[in-house]
Amino acid sequence: MQNFYKWGFETFFGSVFNTIITLLSLIILFFFINSILGFISTSEWKVVEVNRRLLLIGRMPPEHEYRVWPILWVASYLIMASIKTWGSPSYRDLLFIALGITIVCVIFTTSSTYLWVLTSLLICIFSYVITSFIGKSTTANNKNKKILILLWILLLPIIFTILLIGDGPKPTLWGGFLLNIILACIAIGFGFPLGILFAIGRASTLPAIKIVCTIYIETIRGAPLVAWLLLAWFVLPKFLPQFWGINEVSVVVRAMIILSAFTSAYTAEVIRGGLQSIPKGQIEAADSLNLGYANKMVLIVLPQAIRVVIPALISTFIGVFKDTSLVFILALTDLLQVGRIIPEQDPEFFGRQLEALCVVAFLFWIISISLSNLSKKVEKSLGIGIR
Amino acid sequence: MNSIVDKLYVLSRSQKFRNLIIQFIFLIFVGLFVYYLISKALQLDITLGHFVSRAGFGISHTFVVDYTSNDSRWFAYFTGVVNTIRMCIVGIILATILGTIMGVARLSKNILFSTISYLYVEILRNTPLLIQIIFWQIVFLQLPRISEAITFKDTVVISNRGILLPYASSTENGYGNLWIGIILIAIIASLFLSFYINKREDIHGKVIKLYNFKLSGNIIGLIIFFTIASISFFILQKPYDIDLPSLYQNDKGTYLQSGGFEFTPEFGAILFALVMYTGTFITEIVRGSIQSLPKGQTEAALAIGLSNYQTMTLIILPQALRSIIPPLTNQYLNLTKNSSLSVVIAYPELFMVSRTIMNNSGHALPVFFLILVTYLSLSLVISIVMNILNRRVTRIGA
Repeated sequence: MQNFYKWGFETFFGSVFNTIITLLSLIILFFFINSILGFISTSEWKVVEVNRRLLLIGRMPPEHEYRVWPILWVASYLIMASIKTWGSPSYRDLLFIALGITIVCVIFTTSSTYLWVLTSLLICIFSYVITSFIGKSTTANNKNKKILILLWILLLPIIFTILLIGDGPKPTLWGGFLLNIILACIAIGFGFPLGILFAIGRASTLPAIKIVCTIYIETIRGAPLVAWLLLAWFVLPKFLPQFWGINEVSVVVRAMIILSAFTSAYTAEVIRGGLQSIPKGQIEAADSLNLGYANKMVLIVLPQAIRVVIPALISTFIGVFKDTSLVFILALTDLLQVGRIIPEQDPEFFGRQLEALCVVAFLFWIISISLSNLSKKVEKSLGIGIR
Repeated sequence: MNSIVDKLYVLSRSQKFRNLIIQFIFLIFVGLFVYYLISKALQLDITLGHFVSRAGFGISHTFVVDYTSNDSRWFAYFTGVVNTIRMCIVGIILATILGTIMGVARLSKNILFSTISYLYVEILRNTPLLIQIIFWQIVFLQLPRISEAITFKDTVVISNRGILLPYASSTENGYGNLWIGIILIAIIASLFLSFYINKREDIHGKVIKLYNFKLSGNIIGLIIFFTIASISFFILQKPYDIDLPSLYQNDKGTYLQSGGFEFTPEFGAILFALVMYTGTFITEIVRGSIQSLPKGQTEAALAIGLSNYQTMTLIILPQALRSIIPPLTNQYLNLTKNSSLSVVIAYPELFMVSRTIMNNSGHALPVFFLILVTYLSLSLVISIVMNILNRRVTRIGA
């Protein structure tokens, strides 16, 4: 006990400087907690309660709402199975995941949709249990991994089929959280492979390819994303070919094109860092084995280069996910726009912007923090691999 | 005959020839694509001729430049650029200070201090900047209305129209601009002088001494700067004076405010959000750099009797600076580009103004190229400055 007091005294009041810091920190923490408590005591969450559907799918017609739930089922199966297969989560991680899922479900569940949400929760548990059962045998586990990778690649087509099949709503009607997630998936799904190509191009020894790739990357990175989106809003249709009505693409597709191009440039820069970290001996060894250029890249260089930069890649992807909120410039109603609009629609909710904004911020935060924890985990496991 | 075929065969197997062919084919495709883009672009108006015409829209925040809606679009654009540059300079300085403090705090033994830093990074880094800008705007608009403004003895006025602070303003004798010019020349001159003296000391070991007290280049530069500034200040008969803000009611009972430095809710919101958001990334950079230093450095510094504060400022941070600067440059560039998000709360910086011009004129493409060029040159300036700094930092002790 004496030790404890001594430790406490030394950490908090060890020197004059330390004492000042402690007092300052106490003041800051007091203000922080005080303002949060003040906000909670005066807040009314009805603005969020009555607008749950808007937050989730935006202006999508209610009769198409059922299309969202199969996507949620597939996604929850994939995510939980992948977490179990590759993540080897501890109990703390599981608790964190469960808490996050519960809060998100609480935000989005209404009396008419609770059955759908319950089903997807059951699918989460089912997929976790069945994957841990499969994980006991190595051969089944390897087969399972292949199936999961295939499913991840097929995820985008599956989402689009579900959303568009039959008499689906027009892409312009997509909105809310769904739009953010679709845009992020598209941007990463197209931007990542393109980024690899541009990174290889920029690291190439052939001057023509190198210069063209460098110009592309630096031009895209030169202007802010909002400026590119504004360009898409004004002039992109005039640059697209005029057959099959491509030039009249909807605003959502324009946002997808711009976001993918943007992601590819930023990803390329990250991967270039990985390419530079590959020891020259690896390339020489590949050459001495008489591997062709494509084989050398795909089998030797890229796996090592990407492995090194996985944490940086994930933080780029987090950035892309956060940047999907910028599509307000194309007059799309993404989650943030919905959050800004709903308090203004009804005089009853006047002055309740902070509540709506808090929920929006939380939804972005929970996805980003999960990805960021994933990146920390990968970083740790990579460190073990290297040493 | 046979020999030519042989030679061609040999040529076709050579790496150089293949590389040339590949590049040639690649360039043809790129060329076709660029030709397509240019041919499409030529169908649009790609000149900036309309920029000389009257702008016709007001800009709510102007700094230094006096813009009215009768000026040309060029001038409106220039006003936006000035606003952007002002935001970036203030933002970069504040974000660096905040990030460094929080980065050191993250590794502090004081649990309270490191908890604050941890919460700060984890909460703010993972929410979009746009949300933070809107959040700060809402917070600033919740300040008391102007009729109930908080005043501190006529020096500070706080209301939801903005925070007014005392500021310098040029007096009526008209020497204000002249004095600013003299100050700028004095800054450049004293920088060169201190640079020269420091270099002389580094290379030749010659030191200027005044009664056994060593005068380094930095001190001499500062002395000369302040001497020139104060002497010219008195010669020009007080070209600048302190401008106190005031709050008054006109005869209709409307509250008006005037004078002082106006810190508007829009500027405050975008600045706060940019500084807080970029600060989180700088925090992580500083933390990573400090952690990458060998622990022996701290132990050695403590062993020779330096205090914790001295260890940090004299031993750890100067060494960490070498690995901090390259990623820091990246964050500065991000801050510059992110300042364009102030369009969401209608703060008239470069991007907002150009969007208005695009809407008014209908010629989007040339304006976009102007934006691109402006941001690229801003990035270039930041990169050059940071590269010079980097060279200086890596030179020490190398």
